[in-house]
Amino acid sequence: MATLTNPRLKRKFRFNFAYVILTIGSLIALLPFIWMILSSFKTLKEVRQIPPTFFPQKFTLDNYEKVLTDEDLPLGLFYRNSAIIAVANVIQVLFTSSLFGYIFAKYEFKGKKALFWFIMSLMMIPQQITMIPGYLILAKLGLINNLMGLIIPAAIDAFGIFLFRQFALSIPNELIDAARIDGAGEFRIFRSVVLPQLGPALATFGMLTFMFNWNAYLWPLIVLTENKVRTLPIILTWFSNRMVDKTNLTMAASVLVILPVLFIFLLVQRWIVEGITLSGMKG
Amino acid sequence: MTKSRPPFLRNFFQGRDAAKKKFIAGTISPLVLYMAFWTIFPLLWGVALAFFEYSPRRVGGFLGFGGDNPFIGLQNFQSMTNISPDAPLQIQQFHTGIKITLLFAVIIVPLNLLLSLPLAFLIESVHKRAKNIYRTLFFLPVLAPSVGVAIMWGFIYHPQRGLLNAIIGKFAGKLIGINWTGDPNLTVGGIPIALFAIIIAYLWQDLGYNLVIFIAALQGIPDSIKDAAKIDGANWWNMFSRIIVPLMMPTIMFAAVLTMISAFQVFDIIQVMTEGGPNGQTQVLLLNIYNYAFRYQKMGWAAAVSIVMFLMVLSISIVQSRVLRTDWEY
Repeated sequence: MATLTNPRLKRKFRFNFAYVILTIGSLIALLPFIWMILSSFKTLKEVRQIPPTFFPQKFTLDNYEKVLTDEDLPLGLFYRNSAIIAVANVIQVLFTSSLFGYIFAKYEFKGKKALFWFIMSLMMIPQQITMIPGYLILAKLGLINNLMGLIIPAAIDAFGIFLFRQFALSIPNELIDAARIDGAGEFRIFRSVVLPQLGPALATFGMLTFMFNWNAYLWPLIVLTENKVRTLPIILTWFSNRMVDKTNLTMAASVLVILPVLFIFLLVQRWIVEGITLSGMKG
Repeated sequence: MTKSRPPFLRNFFQGRDAAKKKFIAGTISPLVLYMAFWTIFPLLWGVALAFFEYSPRRVGGFLGFGGDNPFIGLQNFQSMTNISPDAPLQIQQFHTGIKITLLFAVIIVPLNLLLSLPLAFLIESVHKRAKNIYRTLFFLPVLAPSVGVAIMWGFIYHPQRGLLNAIIGKFAGKLIGINWTGDPNLTVGGIPIALFAIIIAYLWQDLGYNLVIFIAALQGIPDSIKDAAKIDGANWWNMFSRIIVPLMMPTIMFAAVLTMISAFQVFDIIQVMTEGGPNGQTQVLLLNIYNYAFRYQKMGWAAAVSIVMFLMVLSISIVQSRVLRTDWEY
């Protein structure tokens, strides 16, 4: 009795409809990446061709060779700069967020409420209002064109403190008191008892912080004006502007800058997705 | 050591909770000092700047104020209200900035929600393994640096070599040479086409955020409700519009506000793709602030504009907290 009113067949049809839409949609999501990758294998002549080709007619690796041997573009150095900033900020933000989140969750002291709400209200303040004086302070301290200029002012993340406070609230007091009775010092309790309990939150928030730091553009653009200290996003636009018409080289450089880390982010996307849904947080 | 302390401190650091108090003092006081220097001080400085005609190149007194950087009171803010067509360029650009920023955010938010919500619903409806693959593919652009997005899309929009004109040309059967991001005369309903080009690239990257938020919210809807609707004979459209959307209203409002706040602060993609061009048609407020502060060194003016922008974002945040405080019950 298999007719079209059969619910099973009906469901199958509906599912196919969903698959068609989703497949078209995800092709659109992928297309710019594919176009970038394909173009990076084309010769300059082919890139200049009108109308353009989609697949490279003559597959070449010359673009990569040129980009990798370009003396003005030591990619290793820029990867290092980006990594130093991102890793340092992840470590310090995780440390301060978990420590102060725990303190705000489990300790009582005078002015605690006021201080906590003050920190929370800082979340409302967008970067652009402290951007100009922030630059002037760094200039006075001689930290312009210094990687430390992107690390020292970034030690506290109001949102991180909020997030870790929420997690720390769920840690049973008995656990902390037991450690105290065993004679553990306060910092030792934080390190050995509290921190392991916060493990999943550390992974999630750490990944998110890393990603935002790695992809950051505006603030590094202001602070780092010399190429040798610049991070990957800034050097990529600099290179793209310098190449003007040699789009094949720009695309090869983009592939080298974007794809390796994109692949790593893809591997840990579970945590990144979790972090975003947890917080609805954006860059 | 302890004996030399005055009585108050001795009481504070001794007794039953001495260890706790030491711990608090040792951690909270650096926090307060750090925040005083890196948050409160710049905040006050930023507000003060708006009342001066300030350039870091000129000589002044304390923090560069005074001297060649004179106090001008509310002049920066007063001049913003000058809407005559022969107002100075910086004021006209400020007005364009506000207009473009509002336009950008007002277009982005509904488009984002109209795409991401049904997409989330569709993704949730397919087989589990396929679901993960689709979610990953749609989420991929979120992970890319926005600078990379701007470069990739800039190439797609290229008037001669771009993919977009090639595709349109295929269908039209002739060569198409539309300059999507660089022709000031191309507008749709008075809105520059370059802004639409940026909006599409921005949406392409931004969708994934709301998508994962919505997927998580969908998974939070109890199966019993969905099953009950199915038994009552609801088709997928009824299910979506009568059950899913109302139940997800708080999440949708939350996502809308977040999308709007981040759209207000758009910078990277525009700075790389058009630098605010053509003819300043895509110069959003943050780009305006950046240009005046760091390219033209008019930091006093830029600080005043940034305060206006802050107030715009703040008013949305206040609306947000109002909306989110509303109890949604069904």
